[in-house]
Amino acid sequence: MAEIWDINTLKMKILYSQIKDLVPGVKAEPREIGEILTMIGFMMDSLEEVQYLGKKDYLLSLEVRQNRADCLSVLGLAREIAAYYGLEVRTANAEQHQEGTEDLNIKVLAKDKVRRILAVKLNKIENNQSPSWLADFLSFYQIKSVNLLVDLSNYVMVLTGYPSHILDAQKISGPITWMENGKSFSSTKTLDGTSLELKKGNELIISDEKNVLALAGIVGSQTAAITEESSSVVVEMALYDSALIRENARTLRIATEAGNRLEKDLDANSLKYAFNLLIGLITKHCKGCLASNIFHYYPHPQPPRSIVFDPCLPSVFAGINISPEKSIDILKNLRFVCLKEKRGWNITPPSDRIDILLEEDLVEEVVRMVRFDTIPADETPALQITTNITPPLIRLTEKARDVFSTLGYDEILSWPMTTAAKNLLTNHLNWDSITTQNSVNDECPDLRQSIAASLLLQEEEYHKKNIEFIDIFEIGKVFGKEGKKYAEYEFLGVLSRGSQEKTLQEFRKVVEVFFRSLGIGDIEYTRPSAIPKTMNAHSSWGIAVQDKSLGIIGKLKPPYAEGGYFAEINLSALASIIGKFDSMPAVELNQKLVALDANVELEKNESIEALLKHASQKIGESRIWDLRVTDAYPINKKIRYTVRATYREMNDQDAKSLHLKVFNLATHN
Amino acid sequence: MFSDVNYDIYPMNTDIIKKLKNELEQTESLESLQDIWRVYLGKQGAIKELLKNLGKMNESDRRIKGPLYQKIQQEAQALIDEKESQLKDTEETRDLQKQAEKLGYEKPKIGHLHPITQTIRSLNKLFLSMGYSIMDGPEIETDEYCFKRLNVPENHPARDMQDTIYIEEPNFLLRTQTSSIEAHVLEDYTPPFKVVCPGRVYRNEKANKSNHFIFHHYQGIVVLDRVSLKDVFGTFTLLFRQMYGPKTEIRYRNKYYPEVEPGIGPDMKCFNCRGKGCTICKGVGWIEMGGAGIIHPNIMDMAGIDRKKWMGFAFALGLDRWVMAKYKITDIRTLLGGNLGYKYFEDENTL
Repeated sequence: MAEIWDINTLKMKILYSQIKDLVPGVKAEPREIGEILTMIGFMMDSLEEVQYLGKKDYLLSLEVRQNRADCLSVLGLAREIAAYYGLEVRTANAEQHQEGTEDLNIKVLAKDKVRRILAVKLNKIENNQSPSWLADFLSFYQIKSVNLLVDLSNYVMVLTGYPSHILDAQKISGPITWMENGKSFSSTKTLDGTSLELKKGNELIISDEKNVLALAGIVGSQTAAITEESSSVVVEMALYDSALIRENARTLRIATEAGNRLEKDLDANSLKYAFNLLIGLITKHCKGCLASNIFHYYPHPQPPRSIVFDPCLPSVFAGINISPEKSIDILKNLRFVCLKEKRGWNITPPSDRIDILLEEDLVEEVVRMVRFDTIPADETPALQITTNITPPLIRLTEKARDVFSTLGYDEILSWPMTTAAKNLLTNHLNWDSITTQNSVNDECPDLRQSIAASLLLQEEEYHKKNIEFIDIFEIGKVFGKEGKKYAEYEFLGVLSRGSQEKTLQEFRKVVEVFFRSLGIGDIEYTRPSAIPKTMNAHSSWGIAVQDKSLGIIGKLKPPYAEGGYFAEINLSALASIIGKFDSMPAVELNQKLVALDANVELEKNESIEALLKHASQKIGESRIWDLRVTDAYPINKKIRYTVRATYREMNDQDAKSLHLKVFNLATHN
Repeated sequence: MFSDVNYDIYPMNTDIIKKLKNELEQTESLESLQDIWRVYLGKQGAIKELLKNLGKMNESDRRIKGPLYQKIQQEAQALIDEKESQLKDTEETRDLQKQAEKLGYEKPKIGHLHPITQTIRSLNKLFLSMGYSIMDGPEIETDEYCFKRLNVPENHPARDMQDTIYIEEPNFLLRTQTSSIEAHVLEDYTPPFKVVCPGRVYRNEKANKSNHFIFHHYQGIVVLDRVSLKDVFGTFTLLFRQMYGPKTEIRYRNKYYPEVEPGIGPDMKCFNCRGKGCTICKGVGWIEMGGAGIIHPNIMDMAGIDRKKWMGFAFALGLDRWVMAKYKITDIRTLLGGNLGYKYFEDENTL
């Protein structure tokens, strides 16, 4: 149930020893820290005892919210812990470095796809295998040690959240270019040896004159891969259009730690700290010096944002008392700059908190740090009374479920996906089939046009499993294209696999019970405009009420459900007319009923229903108890019907007189 | 009542009663009883003849025989009445026996509602009791109602082809969440309102034992003069205790959903391990139960709802795993496939 609204869960790990280093004042034990992080938005999914640097340590694994890419780093999580306890974070120094004199030959062609680049060339590098403290550290993050340079790059990524890329300068020919691939390169081989075809054209790449050097923001190519022999390198750290990185990673089916971070919005201002930190670590552990000046591309610097904030608002949102002073203190602990001005408080979030845009975001910051478990959860809310706006269709579907289950029918629910062939067999409406573009279910890419597609499939399954009684119904959507419009309607489908005792007449009565329990007695069985191929054309009728076509009923054609019975009703259409029926079957009876028969002969094409309707109107609502056909038999080209009319609140003589009049019967003295 | 009569003095009269008794003993039908009555008590019957003869007797004989004949008549009538009663009972019994029917041994087949329906109904019942309305919306949705109006960012993973089933990318798709109903409700109705929306949603996932590309959500939307997280928590606690029992422990923690701000995630203490950690809760001790929060201001603005006047909260739950746990269904595909069977004659309490 975790994936109700969120799609991908992000994970980040942090060692307890790192927390102690970065937030020296922390006294809490590892579990307590994990529980606190859980409550403020980073759920701990495991706490593992580990060995690091020859000592017992703890590794906390945490879920990171989609909008907190800043916390896909050790530093980001440490800042959260420090804010909760009101402590300071002690960050490592990342000094500016003395630049070299060489010009770094870099071109940025994909100007609107690149947010910021920092790059520098270093010479006289001594690359080696990594020391154990580094290799062991990376292993906690399932990052395999490659060599010292590569490992330091990954170390800084884990620490700060910013990936970098180191290229062997001696393997590069010509300028290093950031560009959209277009048709320049058709393929590349990544650092792990995977061959990738570049087909789309909008892949953001880093290239030289001859080769792809990297899929920008995702993975490097083998062309300029770092080895232990690499002595001259180019280090680059960049941020991109996150949506493009995500699209490229998805299209090329590559998941990397770098891509995972750069497909999210990261703070461009903090890139410099991470870059300096990495250069400092390289020069410290691999020696070397800066051979070039630092290339810096940052066309649109990220401006600071300030938000006007009412510090009383957290109280309103939480439903508990949180003082304005406490709200401001919390924001200050989170490194927000809080200034009181005439119009209220002016809050400036730290640059790395790019998720903070609105006053409500500040409210959330305050309330999560107060912790949700301080808000009472046991009080049943006494919410304002509101008008019932439930539409008739909802009530209708529930009624249908009650009626059919009471009549012994089982409800099934099934996929609304089917095949074009099944739609051709079962559709009886004037619309076209809809095909999905990318359904994972290749076998059933179309949306059903009739519930029959689902019920017949279910019937087949039940038949295979030797289920004897198959009386089933389903209520669900059917779909089709009406002109240019995608349409969908709520339909009821009923299927009964006929047994010897069952007849279509009995099945029709079952369906009529539903209509009559809605106050609809005047059901017309008409010639259907189209008969599905699954049904017996000589035993199929359209269902209409007040001249509105509502569905179909009839006998299935073998082998479909062994010639059973099927009915389908458009509940959406029925719901639109349901309000017109307001019958009152309960009446006061003061006199005995008078039942009288009349024989009526009609041509075969004449409608007995119309005659009954006409007779009913002539008798009048206040005097009629019942009116129905009790017998019918053919005479030459006609049919003779025996109609029984039962009169109420009338004496024998008056009833007889009315009866003769209504049915145009001659009076015999 | 006739035991004091001394029949021996009048042997002829004693014979009448004895004879009558014999005939009555042999009579088995009401028709023959009628004949006997005629022979003895009819106008020309033996006893009536005796009574007629009284008029021909002298005064002293009449005084003696008159009361005696009266008593004989009364006794005969009583015997016939008694016999008639016996015969009627016997005849009715025979008739009733002829009409009698057996109860039979076959159980009637009852219809069943799908477990998903039953779960939705139990939730609806709770929310209807709190004055909520029930809503549904289209399953073919537009990008606008499924994502844009719900504040889902342009580059959110949910919009990817890999996660959404498209009919016509990027505008027409099968809804991935019942929040799309929220977007319609917010646009179409004027607050205040309280609404729940059970519905089917689609994701572009391969179906296997534990995941399906079709599943069921239960969404709630409330827009009133003022709401708070306390109301959200109170609603959730009531809901979970109704579903899982009064001792259910719930915790609320901060979560991110684009639709809400602040966002919360309710967790239920694992019913299996009581918080110690097991395979069901993946060692965490708690089970995530859904998402909720105060409706995001961007969503209210896009729906044209005045935020100075109205506040709202929304929540969403997944239903399929609840249903699977309750009905001991181990494969999620059973819920919408052909494998869900109903025992024909199994009783089912749907109250």
